[in-house]
Amino acid sequence: MKELIEKLNSKYDLQEIVYQRDNLAFTAIRKENAIDAITYLRDYEEFTHLVMMSCVDWIEDGKFQLLYLLNSPEKKCDIGIKVYIDRENPEMFSAHHLWKSVWTYQRELKEFYGIDFPGSPRVNDDFVVEGWEEIPFMRRDFDTHEYAEKTYFPRGNRKTNDPAEYMRKKLYPNQPVTAKQRKDDK
Amino acid sequence: MINKFLGFKPDEKLLPHKTVTADTEIDLSSHKYQKIWLGPNHPGVTGNMAVELTVQGNTIMRAKTHVGYLHRGFEKLIERRLFVQGFPTSIRMCVAEPDTNEYFIARATEELSGYADAVPDYANWLRMLSLEMARLQGLLRGVPGQGGTFALGIGVQWGVYLRDLILDRFEELTGARVYHMYIIAGGVRGNLPAGFKARMEDNLRDIDDFIIKIKKLMFDNSVFKTRAKGLAVITPDMVDKFGIVGTNARCCGVKRDVRKDNPYLFYEKLDFDPPTATDGDVYSRTWIRWQELIQTVDLIRQIMAKMPEKGDIRCQMPNVLNWKIPKGETYVRLESGRGEMGMYYVTDGSDKPRRINLRGPSYNHAISVLEHMLIGVDVADVHAIMVSLQTCPPEIER
Amino acid sequence: MSFNLKDILTPFTAWANVVKDPVTIKDPFTREAAPRYRGFHANDVQVCIGCGSCEAICENQAIDLVPIEGVEGIETKDGDSGLRPSVDYGRCCWCALCVDICTTDSLRLTNAYTWVDTDADNFIFTPGVDKKEWDDKQEGWRKPQDGYEFYGKERVHMEEMHSPERIDPKDSFVEFIKGYSKEQAQQEADRCVSCGICTATCPAHMGIPEYIKAIRNDDMEEGMRVLYETNPLPEICGRICTHKCEDVCSVGFKDGSDALSIRWLKRYIADQIPADTNQYKDMLGTGDIAKNDKKIAFIGSGPASLSAAYYLALLGYNCTIFEKLPEAGGMMRYGIPSYRLPYDQINKDVDYIVSLGVEMKYNVNIGTDITLEQLNTDFDAVYAGTGLHLGRSTRIPGSEHANVYQSVDLLRDIVTGAEVPVEKKVVVIGGGNVAMDITRSMARLQMEKYGEVNVIATSLEDEEHMPADREEVVEAREENCEINPGYGPQEVVLKDGKVVGLKVWKCLSIFDETGAFNPKYDESDERIFEGDMVIESIGQGMDLSYLSEEIKTKIEFGPRGRIVVNEDWQAKGLPWLFIGGDIIEGPDVIHGIANGHRGAMAIDQFLNQGR
Ligand SMILES: Cc1cc2nc3c(=O)[nH]c(=O)nc-3n(C[C@H](O)[C@H](O)[C@H](O)COP(=O)(O)OP(=O)(O)OC[C@H]3O[C@@H](n4cnc5c(N)ncnc54)[C@H](O)[C@@H]3O)c2cc1C
Ligand code: SF4
Ligand code: SF4
Repeated sequence: MKELIEKLNSKYDLQEIVYQRDNLAFTAIRKENAIDAITYLRDYEEFTHLVMMSCVDWIEDGKFQLLYLLNSPEKKCDIGIKVYIDRENPEMFSAHHLWKSVWTYQRELKEFYGIDFPGSPRVNDDFVVEGWEEIPFMRRDFDTHEYAEKTYFPRGNRKTNDPAEYMRKKLYPNQPVTAKQRKDDK
Repeated sequence: MINKFLGFKPDEKLLPHKTVTADTEIDLSSHKYQKIWLGPNHPGVTGNMAVELTVQGNTIMRAKTHVGYLHRGFEKLIERRLFVQGFPTSIRMCVAEPDTNEYFIARATEELSGYADAVPDYANWLRMLSLEMARLQGLLRGVPGQGGTFALGIGVQWGVYLRDLILDRFEELTGARVYHMYIIAGGVRGNLPAGFKARMEDNLRDIDDFIIKIKKLMFDNSVFKTRAKGLAVITPDMVDKFGIVGTNARCCGVKRDVRKDNPYLFYEKLDFDPPTATDGDVYSRTWIRWQELIQTVDLIRQIMAKMPEKGDIRCQMPNVLNWKIPKGETYVRLESGRGEMGMYYVTDGSDKPRRINLRGPSYNHAISVLEHMLIGVDVADVHAIMVSLQTCPPEIER
Repeated sequence: MSFNLKDILTPFTAWANVVKDPVTIKDPFTREAAPRYRGFHANDVQVCIGCGSCEAICENQAIDLVPIEGVEGIETKDGDSGLRPSVDYGRCCWCALCVDICTTDSLRLTNAYTWVDTDADNFIFTPGVDKKEWDDKQEGWRKPQDGYEFYGKERVHMEEMHSPERIDPKDSFVEFIKGYSKEQAQQEADRCVSCGICTATCPAHMGIPEYIKAIRNDDMEEGMRVLYETNPLPEICGRICTHKCEDVCSVGFKDGSDALSIRWLKRYIADQIPADTNQYKDMLGTGDIAKNDKKIAFIGSGPASLSAAYYLALLGYNCTIFEKLPEAGGMMRYGIPSYRLPYDQINKDVDYIVSLGVEMKYNVNIGTDITLEQLNTDFDAVYAGTGLHLGRSTRIPGSEHANVYQSVDLLRDIVTGAEVPVEKKVVVIGGGNVAMDITRSMARLQMEKYGEVNVIATSLEDEEHMPADREEVVEAREENCEINPGYGPQEVVLKDGKVVGLKVWKCLSIFDETGAFNPKYDESDERIFEGDMVIESIGQGMDLSYLSEEIKTKIEFGPRGRIVVNEDWQAKGLPWLFIGGDIIEGPDVIHGIANGHRGAMAIDQFLNQGR
């Protein structure tokens, strides 16, 4: 594993390398090298099985992190190739020519995160949500709770109490001790 | 279908050219084609999914999978929950064998927080038991279910009854029948109840009988053979191209089984060899699943014999309400009844996961593989192919 | 296609089932679920304390904590919020995480699973309060045993010095509790379920879960901000607080489960910040406070006065503390021995308060050096926190002998450096914490002087009812002190004009039927505890001699000679005089801090009335 990653590093100048387990490593590759590296791994290093593609929204860094998880059935190990792309106008080179499953992942990522893969077949087809009008829902800034509140009809028959606050109201009602409580009580 | 009985083969050249996405140029205005929707509410379809078929006569020219009827954004919901709160939600992403997802969340969080080795052995044996029980109840439905798609309903009745007996065992072990919520970070949520093994052995004996009966019903059955043999062939070169896993890969001789390739839990201590076949058609898929049924019964017996009599069910973990996991990521996988399942799990140092992503076998089997395989097939065979690929929409939509 | 005859006939074997008995359950409605089945909730509401941990862990937000009215046994009180969980079956998924975390084991899921109703709102119910037919069903899901814990049950061990080292004559008054390391503190803080039940019981109503959270986040500055909101003496309280909060901690509710070590966690936070008043000011945002022209005088520099002065100084008042002793702290310095509370820690807390512009005037005795009336003329309000400094005597024969002492006097002398008589054999009367303090202090002095310990402490109460904290008794014994409870002192035995011992009788009961103090003895069980000096430590009284006769006529005195105050701690009849500390409540430091804080707010209001 280590050897392979070293080799990959000399070829593609990897950005980060993490050996998560004996049989699993994650590494980040620059966007422009990624498809090349993945093709290399598939064709020359027996990483013939694409386990999955995924995405993580690192909203605080303004990045989406794509993941291509490759498995070698021969070597019985996995490499996760990570590619950071800009969160503004996110776009990535399509890899649909490498595996027949890729176009589905890319279609999913388009719908879930709004990442475009120009040239990928059916990439704009609806995947799981039809007629979605909000921002792509897997982005961190999409708030499911808020969406549910405004879209559905809360019954409004629930109310809870914080034990400490409730006890204060009951046991020492006129003695706010913190600045906040003094403000609340006014 | 009638063509097949007569031994008639359509001229492959007349079929539309297959593209990467199995998409074809079809001119609907030519009046040669018709569109029909199979699902989302159709008893023959696996769960709530739909296949949009474009047919010419009985022959399918184009197929498109539509999912989304079960979508609740479970992965997103889990991102908003504490580490311990994720597992009851996760099981909704796989109705057929929900236990796998409990395992992923437990395993990934243990690995990322450094507790992977702290889980008691007894708990790991119980995890393995529940996972094999899950496989068994899935097969009890799935194997005769394949007959069902060819109108052979009786086997399904037998299977569902026996599956209910396994659910009884689940009920006494885990406290629930379908959504067990049993595997939790650090271990499991209950020990083996007294008398469990004996009751399980009773059920397994019934299943032994069933295995013989179902062989006679389905595999020594000329109708089943005629319909299933040669139908929807998976070839070895398709396996990696489409990301085909599990019995769907083993049916054409590609021996993939996570339990052997990347052993987890105590599978190395069990004696088994995943069955394979060579033909790659619906018949061989069903056939190796039948063999797997025998094997799973055997594995459960082995587990019950080899597991320790008692032990701790959970290791001491941080307070579940305050539990934070350092930044990190991992992928955990196992062999479910439908093949390699896995979960990509990302943490960011907070008390909630940054991202979880389930890799379900159906993601490929039900979309790219199914759409590809349906072309040129008789409409009457669609259910059979779907069931044989074990397509399951919730793990696609998540 | 080739057809094989066998393949046509074999499937017909399925007909054999026609003669088999059906397997269908005939009556599905009464099918009993498994004993571990997760069905409907049941809650023993008499045991539940309304901590809300179930609500916190429910991933479906199915639980609300609702007030319970009119159910006997449920009320809001120390250790019980008076709330109980109600469950919304429109959301619940029967995962039973709520059961697994329940701090009292009151909550469980029964194995009942059918419930039909036409009104959807009925499916929101309060288990145990809204009676259900399954309430008494015993089968169902309970928290698994066998070490399955959602939070740590055991307290992180506190390192301390062991006995010979503790009383080593080279440095016998050294602080022996070592304090938590970062790792230990975080581990201990991790056990907290953040219910907040403790807050009401803490006299100062400190934001306990918040500062414990700050420890988990390793944010000590935030921790200090939370502490100082309600308590300006964190180093002190973190060491010697009576920690009433720990008695009600929900984590410690169950047998075999320890309450959180709240006091030590507080100490941990304060210990992490160096004694630098500028850093304190930066951290707490008290660098520049706009002063106003109002002046307030404080009598005594105990915790009550310090606390009141601190909160008034934050509001811009000019505060002056008059203290008759040479240094600040009151009983915290002149009572509590330094092996429990080192002087530098007192100084650390006090220095910061002083740095905010609070003026300290030491060696000034109000009443003799300056009259109270004078203070009233010179200041806009006066705050009296003069504490309990007069030792009480048993008044038994011989107790007026010169070698019979009061514990508070000796403890004060130890601190001021005055000469303290240390005899070879000492007898202490009293079973409270003060008695343990003098016992253990004398043991240390004996070690320094004689190299061995010979102290006997005796109390009316027997071992089980001794008012002192258990750990005090245990530690005293570890230090070779003899604790001999259950005896009533009868006479200080004198021989040739010298004290030789204390005569005691076995005490049978302390209070009579009416509850009045009236000890009964077994006179046949008489013992003499040998000793060259006797120290009485049976309580302290207040010295209100600074109140002139004229003032005394204006105010009122209640039971036990306490000054009657209104709810703002204002002396009835003299609106400019505010009272706090031991002479009104307690006696302990945290009550002083609490009523000092409240007094400060009341003074602020009093002085602002015109505006
Ligand atoms: C031995 C001992 C051990 C204790 N241990 C603990 C413990 O572990 N935990 C705990 O919480 N509590 C403990 N206490 C109790 C605690 O110290 C007191 O409750 C607390 O200090 C009371 O605070 P206060 O502000 O009312 O007054 P005090 O602390 O009593 O201070 C009053 C101050 O006023 C001064 N004063 C009095 N009259 C005048 C006057 N006329 N003019 C000028 N100054 C005057 C006194 O010199 C004194 O400094 C202990 C007490 C003793 C005696
Ligand atoms: S966790 Fe238990 S004790 Fe706390 S409120 Fe819930 S039921 Fe009551
Ligand atoms: S059983 Fe689970 S979902 Fe239901 S109230 Fe308890 S924690 Fe919530």
